Amino acid sequence: MSRIERKILFAIGLTVFLTLGGSIFFAQGALREVYRVGVNERFGQELVHGVEARRGQLVALRESSEQVADAIGWAVEAEVSEKDSRRALEALLVELLDRYPDVKSVRVVEGDRLYAAASREPEPNGDALRATIRSRDATARGKKLRVEVEVVVPEMYFQRLQEAGEVADVYSRLQRESASVSDVYVWVFGVLVFLVIVVAFLIGAIASRRVTRRVTVLAEATRRVGAGDLTVSLPTGATDEVTELTQAFNDMVRDLRDSRTRIEYLQKIGAWQDFARRLAHEIKNPLTPIQLAAQEMDETYTGEDEGYREKLEHARAIIEEEVATLRRLVGEFSAFAKLPRADLSPADLCELIQSIQDSVPAILEDIGVDGPAPVEVRVSCATRPMHVRMDPMMLRRGFDNILRNAIQAVYRAKPTGGGQVLLRAYSVENSAFIEVLDNGPGIARENWDRVFDPYYTTKVEGTGLGLAIVKKVVLEHGGEVSLDDAPEGGARFRIRLPLIGSS
Amino acid sequence: MKYWLAAWLWLIGASASAQRDLPLRDVQVQWLRGAPKVSFSAKDLADERVRKELQSALRKRLVVTVTAHPRGSGRTIVRRQFGCDVTHDLWEDGYLVRIASQTERLSSLEKALDRCLVVQGLFVGEPRRYESYKGKEIFFSIEAEFNPISEKQCRELIRPTGSDDPIGPITVSIVRRRICQAERTVRFRGKDARVPK
Repeated sequence: MSRIERKILFAIGLTVFLTLGGSIFFAQGALREVYRVGVNERFGQELVHGVEARRGQLVALRESSEQVADAIGWAVEAEVSEKDSRRALEALLVELLDRYPDVKSVRVVEGDRLYAAASREPEPNGDALRATIRSRDATARGKKLRVEVEVVVPEMYFQRLQEAGEVADVYSRLQRESASVSDVYVWVFGVLVFLVIVVAFLIGAIASRRVTRRVTVLAEATRRVGAGDLTVSLPTGATDEVTELTQAFNDMVRDLRDSRTRIEYLQKIGAWQDFARRLAHEIKNPLTPIQLAAQEMDETYTGEDEGYREKLEHARAIIEEEVATLRRLVGEFSAFAKLPRADLSPADLCELIQSIQDSVPAILEDIGVDGPAPVEVRVSCATRPMHVRMDPMMLRRGFDNILRNAIQAVYRAKPTGGGQVLLRAYSVENSAFIEVLDNGPGIARENWDRVFDPYYTTKVEGTGLGLAIVKKVVLEHGGEVSLDDAPEGGARFRIRLPLIGSS
Repeated sequence: MKYWLAAWLWLIGASASAQRDLPLRDVQVQWLRGAPKVSFSAKDLADERVRKELQSALRKRLVVTVTAHPRGSGRTIVRRQFGCDVTHDLWEDGYLVRIASQTERLSSLEKALDRCLVVQGLFVGEPRRYESYKGKEIFFSIEAEFNPISEKQCRELIRPTGSDDPIGPITVSIVRRRICQAERTVRFRGKDARVPK
């Protein structure tokens, strides 16, 4: 885990713990208070009183039924003592049933024999009834009677007592456990909060890892760049600040790479210029004595040997021709060596392109063997004006070199006509582009990297300095030059220059 | 994974230790056609407070649970439970004792306690449950509880409010366990008994 990741997680943890830990602290107090309001002693006492009341009701019913049984027993005893009439006793029993609605039946038994009885069906109101028999002994006229009174009571009185008892029981348990119950609530809440914290941490870890991993990759790439590896390029996908940083890093590395390439090339050109200056100097000095010596040898020969004279004249002609060639080369080397640094100032690129168009007939005349070369040259500028910081002389020289090369190549391939060369300029976003296309034989792909090297040429009379000068000029203008195949089949040189105002 | 395994082993060990540490009491075991019949008394569950509550005319529950375990292990071979509902009848003198769907009337509390807590020849499991323990020693542990609120009744009395919050149902289930547990519990075990071959 990286340091930044630990810091992010610490920030998440601190925030979550403070928020949720505080909420647990306050929730604990609130829960206890809420529970204290809901489960209190007074309410519990009321429930117990309710149970006691129902129990008292049942006890009262029991006593009432006992008293009824006593009253019926006494009434039977009195009736038998007074009349000893079975019929009269049965009439009394019916009357007693009417008087005591909770009595379902009355049986008067003498020994094992039923003496008299009366009964009735209870009111069909649907309530379940619990019945019991209360027995009373009665003695009258020498008879030992047993009075069996069947008393009924609604079952609901018992059920209600049990229900009230259960509620009071549970409530008293709740009351006893009130502290621990609220603790359970807090405990469960705490566990859930802990789970939320874990989830928050996991999400934080995943989210921060996505960021920190990219930062780590960026740091590693920076170390590689510091070690000199400018081929580093990092992928960009998301749209956030890290992506912007990565994009800026990639741009910086690309700029560094371009700058290093530019500097290396310019250093190489500088070395070659120094070499060209020395070479020109070393070659140029002996040329005049050689030429003079050859002329003198030819002019001072006074002999009669015609054959020898002819050899002298032939040798003088060769020497003068080669010296002239060497002078031209020395001149070009010298010019290359003296090539100044570009002195940049704002100007319209299209005007420069226009001036090149004006010089096209002269170039064709120069290249053609018998008159102007039969090559169709078109020059265009799509965007007007195109302001760039440039050294018009230097830049014109570069464009002239490329255009001249293209015309020569096309002319060599199609000396009788049909050759076409197009020089066009246009702008895209912050860059100006100048393209020179031809329909000549093109340049082999394997030579694309070398054509800009000094002294590399495929032409018999070439010095290999033209395209090197082009690249030097373009680089000094902050641009770049590239080569590929033209759609027409020949070569395409493309120069990019930064427009004024672009970074 | 290894933590879960360690926790599981710890639970097994703790359970075995808890069973082993129960007080030793007289538990008679007779074997009849491969099934054990156990006899014991858990009447000491009814202390003064329990007796007072049993006389309150409110229905009280006495639950006796018998479990068989291999010697030295907390693993349960078989579990048998029966419960008594005892109600002091205010309408008529005596006690109504209900076991399963049978209700009988007993004249005194002592008789009700004998009926519920003095167990004679209770079959604990079928013979096939003991087949793999033939010749091995097992023991029976007994748990007698006074007035545990039944799970169904407890669920009806203490229920979540039905809101969407996640805490309510979890908390209620924990509270239920605490509130509805027995008011008094007696636990003991018998001597090791060998399962006949």
